[in-house]
Amino acid sequence: MRKNQLGLCVLVLALVLSFSVAVFAQDVRITILNSKGEIQTQLEDIAAYYSSITDGVTVEVIAAAVGQSPFERAVALYASGNAPALLMLDAGDVLLFQDRALALNDEKWVADAIENSLSMATAEDGRILAFPVTVEGFGFIYNKAVVDKALGGEFDPKTINTYDSLRELLDAIEASGTASLVIGPEDWSLGAHFFSLAYSAQSPDFDEVNAFMDGLKAGTVSLAENAVVNGLLDTFDLMKEYNYDKLDPLASTYDRGTELIGTGEVGIWFQGNWTWPQIADFDTTGGQFGFLPVPIGNDPEALGNTQIPVGVTKYFIVDGEQNSPAQQRAAKDFLNWLVYDAEGQKRLVVDASVIPAFSNITIAPNDPLAVSLLEYVREGKTMNFVLNLPPDHWAQVGAYMQKYLADFSDRDAFFKEVEAYWQGL
Amino acid sequence: MATEKRFLDRLKTYLLFAGPTTFVFFTVIILPFLFGVYLTFTNWDGIAKTYTFVRFSNYATVVRDRMFWNSFLLTVKYVFYTVLIVNALGFVLAYALTGDTVRGQNLLRTGFFVPNLIGGIILGLVWRFVFSNVLVFIGRSLKIGPLSYSWLANPDKAFWTLVIVSVWQYSGYMMIIFIAGLTHIPSELIEAATIDGAGGFHRLRTIILPLMVPSFIVTVFLTIQRGFMVYDVNLALTQGGPFKSTELISMFVYEKAFLAQQYGVGQSQAFFLFLLVAAISLTQVYFTKKLEVEA
Repeated sequence: MRKNQLGLCVLVLALVLSFSVAVFAQDVRITILNSKGEIQTQLEDIAAYYSSITDGVTVEVIAAAVGQSPFERAVALYASGNAPALLMLDAGDVLLFQDRALALNDEKWVADAIENSLSMATAEDGRILAFPVTVEGFGFIYNKAVVDKALGGEFDPKTINTYDSLRELLDAIEASGTASLVIGPEDWSLGAHFFSLAYSAQSPDFDEVNAFMDGLKAGTVSLAENAVVNGLLDTFDLMKEYNYDKLDPLASTYDRGTELIGTGEVGIWFQGNWTWPQIADFDTTGGQFGFLPVPIGNDPEALGNTQIPVGVTKYFIVDGEQNSPAQQRAAKDFLNWLVYDAEGQKRLVVDASVIPAFSNITIAPNDPLAVSLLEYVREGKTMNFVLNLPPDHWAQVGAYMQKYLADFSDRDAFFKEVEAYWQGL
Repeated sequence: MATEKRFLDRLKTYLLFAGPTTFVFFTVIILPFLFGVYLTFTNWDGIAKTYTFVRFSNYATVVRDRMFWNSFLLTVKYVFYTVLIVNALGFVLAYALTGDTVRGQNLLRTGFFVPNLIGGIILGLVWRFVFSNVLVFIGRSLKIGPLSYSWLANPDKAFWTLVIVSVWQYSGYMMIIFIAGLTHIPSELIEAATIDGAGGFHRLRTIILPLMVPSFIVTVFLTIQRGFMVYDVNLALTQGGPFKSTELISMFVYEKAFLAQQYGVGQSQAFFLFLLVAAISLTQVYFTKKLEVEA
């Protein structure tokens, strides 16, 4: 009995001590949910550095696995009462969190955010709910060394603006003895990126793109009769014809794609600028990569033949519910540091290869894909990156694309499946 | 008065020993279950603070959803093959490893049981590598046609990879249950049968199998239940692919709730699944119990 009482005393004392430590210490600990798996280490370094330069603020980074939906991870964290202070979400999911996110209208960076970057983060009542993390775009990534060798001279990406010119380029690369192109069979790449061109290339006006998608939902749009959609699939057929993995088109993986393009085993790969940190690991050409548009049809003036889709794909929300005011303050400070501190800017843009969505950041990225992307932006050669697709569009339509890629369905069946998906929403 | 006292005493004893467990069971199983049933009547997306009641429309959606039933039928097919093969193989292994014919029994038993100790995710990833790299490499080097292409990229073959890996994972576990059953068969019965002139196959059919029915009740129940609930191997091995052709029911429900952000519909599907699996398992236990014999 004596022993027990002693044990109890020790326990109580320990509890009291731990509570008082928590109360009296000024330490603020915040957590970031990262959903850009490719910059996990860079973000961890940024967090460690920021923790070291601030007094009493510790930043930790937790990851959503590559391919795992950030929404799913965020929901689980909220349900467990353990929400991070900063959550990096996909653009289309931001407004779902409007009951939980802090309004950020008073932040300084709101004025410096580039045009349109806050439209997907603004609630109907005018509250700005999220911080635009990164501008991203996609298209055909080309390995310049391979293409230059095939053409026997300096390659000008502007010459690829039609279906036929793309075919000539692929032929030239094949003739030089290198594989020309590889299709990454990931459902997110095919569903969320490649097939999204079928929507965004309908019109430069985003309202009309939305009207097109509404028409699909209502069943009034026929994909088989749409020239743009058919043209996009013609281009996809061309890609299938030249696919490095033609014999086993679904077996490849994302990691293998970064290796094939990085080492120059293949000349062209359909992906986005987020692949750079991985490609860099394999790069033997000293960073000679760039983007080509995905041409649709043979009219060089057609939308999409000289433009690539660019948009703000990821946003940070600041949790307004399960974090203390001090933690929320620290989270906001961290965001400001990224935008306005020279070191923060450098670490974000140079180390993590992120193209920022803020006009005050003038520091230039040194990753070739970002440089190429920014060139398209500077020349105004961009189109809408459709980010308001239904949440499971990438998985469902991606699966139909895989089926089409592996010749388990034909074009008619594919159109029927996509139309049925939209009508079933 | 006396009965009341006795009841109180019994309650006290019960609470003393089983109270904590009951509390935990109630809070982590029963309450979430009831809350889940409640959510099936709402259109909650998983994160919003407000939602509206939609009565039975989620259930109507589930009944009408062809993809759900496709996935369910695929799961039934998967359960059918895994239950059959796992139990048959498990029993054969147990029978072979309890007689006097095979040497090194303990080592072999351990070997067959080990896969069951590896988590489904790791196991799925290991086999993913085997199916998409090792077998393809062997197939291409030795020019074996069916192995030259990844099985995971073909819908039919990908289904069979799931069955193969599940069989590999669970046969050893079922083997242990069968071994326990076999060692409990009274040896005098076997001896008597032998003296009466029964051969090996005759003994197996008329003595051993009828006495093994209690073990089969357990193993069939376990394999059915695990088959319907499988998620980890499905996720790590095929990821539901190629193009969702191997998406078993648990994964389908999960994606409906968290990916399509239709939590209410996903919950309704899960509740449907609960009813179906409970019905199937209870029927199975009821009918196999009838096969039991007294030694």
